[in-house]
Amino acid sequence: MTELIARGLKSDRFSPTFMPTAEWMVDEVKKVYPDAEVEVMDTTGTGDHWFVKVVDSSFEGMRLIQRQKPIISHFKPHIATNYVHALDLKCWTPEQAKEKEGDTPFSPHEARRSGFVGLQVKRENKEE
Amino acid sequence: MTEFNWTAAELQKIVDENRLVLFMKGTPEQPQCGFSSRAAMVFQQLEQPFVSVNILSDPRAIPSVCEWSDWPTMPQCFVDGELIGGSDIALDMYESGELQQMIDEKPQEG
Repeated sequence: MTELIARGLKSDRFSPTFMPTAEWMVDEVKKVYPDAEVEVMDTTGTGDHWFVKVVDSSFEGMRLIQRQKPIISHFKPHIATNYVHALDLKCWTPEQAKEKEGDTPFSPHEARRSGFVGLQVKRENKEE
Repeated sequence: MTEFNWTAAELQKIVDENRLVLFMKGTPEQPQCGFSSRAAMVFQQLEQPFVSVNILSDPRAIPSVCEWSDWPTMPQCFVDGELIGGSDIALDMYESGELQQMIDEKPQEG
């Protein structure tokens, strides 16, 4: 573990050649939950901070950490090498996803720059 | 001050003795990562004091904590000795009211 982290720190994580793509991220999540609806977003534009939304009806009745665990385990080797640096992972049932519709994905770096340290905000509803 | 060596027993003791524990990069006042900041923000909304552990304070911290908790990312949020997840889960559980409910349901003894 220590060795893997040390190696990860040495890797050039800002080089685009070594960054995961959105397609790759979706494919990897689908290996874990093949029937899920998966949406990913590169929140910093650097390919290493990913907002990942996974919607699956099989999540019903499962605790949030149980839903995440198989995905986190699958990504563990990539997290260890820092190929994937940060995951903002939302595992929702279709019902929950509907409730959260319109939420702005959290951008950790933007939050630091702006001093906004907190909670996701609802986008204003467009006037109809 | 006694030395802290990030052993499983020492880490377990922290989460056993404190209802809310946050392992984070930096401190709630000076977080060093957006996700840690978000987790601290969530904990600050709760009507329960919490303990935060700065895992950047010692190079042994991240590998030790991650191995002990079997979770590879930071921050890590613990409630009543149990890992509930990172800042994404903490926020969801705060928004749904589940987090406050967990705290209300099991009042501190003694």
